[in-house]
Amino acid sequence: MSSPPIPVSSNESAFDPSVRWFQHAVFYEVLIRGYHDANNDGTGDLRGLREKLDYMEWLGIDCIWMLPFYPSPFRDGGYDISDFFNVHPDYGSIGDLVAFLEDAHRRGIRVIADLVMNHTSDEHPWFVESRSSRDNAKADWYVWNDDDQKWPDARVVFTDVERSNWTWDDTRQQYYWHRFYHHQPDLNYDNPEVADTMIDLVRFWLDLGFDGFRLDAVPYLYQRDGTSGEHLPETHAFIRRIRKQIDADYPGRILLAEANGWPSDVADYFGDGDECHLCFHFPLMPRLFMAVRREQRYPITEILAQTPVIDDACQWAIFLRNHDELTLEQVSDEERDYLIAEYAKDPRMKRHMGIGRRLAPLLDNDRRTAELLYALILSLPGSPVIYYGDELLMGDNIYLGDRDSVRTPMQWSPDRNGGFSKADFAQLYLPPLMDPVYGFSALNVEAQLRNQGSFLHWLRRMLTERRALPVMGVGAMEVLPCANPSVLAYMRSGEVADILTGSTSTGPSVSPAVDGALDWGHSTVLARTVPAGNESEDDDAVHRQQAVLCVHNLSRFAQPAELALAKWAGSTPYEVLGRVPFPVISEEPYAVTLPPYGFLWFDLVLEERLPPE
Amino acid sequence: MTPERDLALRTLTEAWLGLHGLAPDGDIVIARDEVLRPGRPGLLDIVAHVGDRRVHMVVGLRGVADEPHFLRSGEEAALGLLDDDEGLAVCTDAVRDAEHAGLLLATVRGVEARPGPVAVLRDDDDATVLNCGDRGDLLVFPWLSAMPRPDVDLMVALDEFGFNHVAAPLARWVWEGADLGVVQEPLADRSSGWALALTSLRDFYASGGLPEAAGGDFGAEARALGTMTARMHVALDSAFDRQHEPVVGWLDDAEATIAASDASLLQAPGVTELVKWLRESESRLPVIRTHGDFHLGRTARTDQGWVVSDCAPGGVVAPGSTVRPRTPLGDVADLLWSMHRASTVVAAERDPAGRLGLAALGHAWEMRNRRAFVTGYLSTPGIGGLVGPDRTLVRRLLSFLELARSVREGSVQVF
Repeated sequence: MSSPPIPVSSNESAFDPSVRWFQHAVFYEVLIRGYHDANNDGTGDLRGLREKLDYMEWLGIDCIWMLPFYPSPFRDGGYDISDFFNVHPDYGSIGDLVAFLEDAHRRGIRVIADLVMNHTSDEHPWFVESRSSRDNAKADWYVWNDDDQKWPDARVVFTDVERSNWTWDDTRQQYYWHRFYHHQPDLNYDNPEVADTMIDLVRFWLDLGFDGFRLDAVPYLYQRDGTSGEHLPETHAFIRRIRKQIDADYPGRILLAEANGWPSDVADYFGDGDECHLCFHFPLMPRLFMAVRREQRYPITEILAQTPVIDDACQWAIFLRNHDELTLEQVSDEERDYLIAEYAKDPRMKRHMGIGRRLAPLLDNDRRTAELLYALILSLPGSPVIYYGDELLMGDNIYLGDRDSVRTPMQWSPDRNGGFSKADFAQLYLPPLMDPVYGFSALNVEAQLRNQGSFLHWLRRMLTERRALPVMGVGAMEVLPCANPSVLAYMRSGEVADILTGSTSTGPSVSPAVDGALDWGHSTVLARTVPAGNESEDDDAVHRQQAVLCVHNLSRFAQPAELALAKWAGSTPYEVLGRVPFPVISEEPYAVTLPPYGFLWFDLVLEERLPPE
Repeated sequence: MTPERDLALRTLTEAWLGLHGLAPDGDIVIARDEVLRPGRPGLLDIVAHVGDRRVHMVVGLRGVADEPHFLRSGEEAALGLLDDDEGLAVCTDAVRDAEHAGLLLATVRGVEARPGPVAVLRDDDDATVLNCGDRGDLLVFPWLSAMPRPDVDLMVALDEFGFNHVAAPLARWVWEGADLGVVQEPLADRSSGWALALTSLRDFYASGGLPEAAGGDFGAEARALGTMTARMHVALDSAFDRQHEPVVGWLDDAEATIAASDASLLQAPGVTELVKWLRESESRLPVIRTHGDFHLGRTARTDQGWVVSDCAPGGVVAPGSTVRPRTPLGDVADLLWSMHRASTVVAAERDPAGRLGLAALGHAWEMRNRRAFVTGYLSTPGIGGLVGPDRTLVRRLLSFLELARSVREGSVQVF
């Protein structure tokens, strides 16, 4: 049975050219070796990734975050790098990479790479040389010591497999420092050669066409006596150095920090707008799951209340799941116990200090809860990051080691190996899922494309609608009081720019928000809406205020809510997905009824913006 | 005051009483006629003797053509007309109008008025409480006592003695020693403790199993609530005098309360032995100023944690409006009883005919959260000095005090 063609749209107008594109972008995290195998050797590759750009464009994501593609012995999913300036031969060549980047850009999709700055593989030639003696050219490129007593305040990150941050090396007869696995020795950033080489590395990949980097493990770059070895001033100074290069020579490229910490601590990685453009908001993520389980909003609103206001030019990156475990580092012991009891009932689901499960199994494959959580990350302040496969509600395999449980092959079709590869099953880098619930024969892209009611179509629709609501990315947020603890309601608002283009079309109806510029009876003008200030000088843009009311029911039961919306009295709420007008807002409490795990987004339209009857 | 004005104000007072379903049971004598805010919209504060009580009303004044901003549509808040130096005014009950309420809050606080949302949190004979958004909460008391209100005293004392779990009073509005109202600092994003408990119970009744395994487990919240309650008592101990009393004395009071409701309860299984054991205790324990009626509805959850959202009654108020000290375990017993009530209310909602047998689940929920609450309470630094070291005594006292509490509402539980 052939799969329905994925419509390829001319997406030129979707490529936000502004330097702040990332503030309203949707990111898509991709594991190259798990995405698509073009040469049928059992491992995904760059050509395979390129072949699936049509799909990603159709889905409507704005930026791909590629997990490490560098040469590696793969003892930590590719985060143990043995050559920073090359592509793993299993994935292809640098030429394949460049072709992929160019093709992505043609489709209006940006691409960022994972930059693993803190450490290398112990098989990296630098380390091989460094360990060989105490006086070679690379001797000081790593952190060596005669004993393992230094920096006792630095915590061990992988407590379940490593006992110390120091490991003895028989060759050099010294200990070397590693904040992660013992086979990932930390680079010594106090050595100017290391720091300079990392700058060269950044420039190398940016010159090839990447749009930025996710800075892996960036808090750990430096060590100092009497400190925890995290978030040190020297680390921030180095990030500022990278940022300076980018601002000078690569405008529009971004840095995304992976700093797992409390929001007020992580916000330091924005600097004064002179460090990272984005930082992951790690503490929000487990609290989304907690709020749904407890059926009350306080886990979410509490952490938002403790999230500092950040520079206008910066943005949080928010997510539900990623390639790692669902980390529980930023919750209390009691909360951790609660989340593990709720979401990791089988001990095999626990990984390090978290839970190694994908989104759908965490939610017992409840589509309603999945939709609710996605609605939250698509409307809360931040740029959402979607993990590959979660757009299908893919499952996991907890019997695979480490974090491989969530890194199984993408499921494209019911065909052999889920359409991921034509290699023999035994050759595959990991087995695809084959159980009756999440197995590829039932759950795959082809089947969901064919079914208009699928989760995949739903998510695509949501991304499309979100694109027309820039305030979801950059707008102010006001949590609205609600006596019902199971309802989370907030207003996203701000100034936007409607950009008009000259083409005519019989395409989908245009948002009522821009009707002021249209002649309703005679023609339809395609338009896009961007955050105010993101339009270019040549654009024919109209500025206006946009306000979107987002109401979410965190309970399994239907819930009523009365919201004080007097500030917006006179506005007509248009439900975003159906464009159905709801009763005009008055000074009296506004009653909303929500189904179990339901949500509603309302675009508030002032009376003078309504179309003529 | 001219006779015409006096008549007009008495007429307004009678209209106000009518809005509240009351008829004057004596002459109305105007005791206070204070223009809080001249102009239109304006505010007039009136206190009138009505029989042996004093009524307090705030009248909002508008121009005849001006539009009101009633808080609830269809609500009749008009009181009449008043002709003063600025012309004819339409008079309404100010606390039922969003614009007037905002003006009143600003006037009491002594700040510039600004627009904002207004929502009614409570409206009864004791107080009208309005949530005015980030401007704060406005409390207006419709019936005045001869002395300062104990709940306001409690609120002020808690704030002054460093208790962080109460919305601090920003302004106390007093006239001739009587509290007319209070403005409290705004509390962002609050939900009542009662609503949260009901949410947890609904989830648990739907899922069954063990309460700690249910998704909506209230245990962590109950424990945090216990901690907050203990901190409240520690603050009250600092704010007011502490005395010591023999435990036996409390038994007498509690027994009298139970006997007055249903003497047979004192003969129920376990109760006799409990009373006997307590009577043999020779302990003397501290008595302090307590909350007086501490239940889940008097608490709220905010983004910053639990707060005491309602300080009324402000102590155990004896006849003559004197506040009696009591053991802080009295407040604890009140809260525990409130948990029981929550479990029965939701069970009745879900299973009015009693066919699903939710009593066992309700009991499990109660035990889990009672334990969590008491653990949070007893493990708070400083509380040991108020409840004594004997945990057996504490547990048994709580049981008996809760029994006494339960008969006040007509709902009985016997352990």
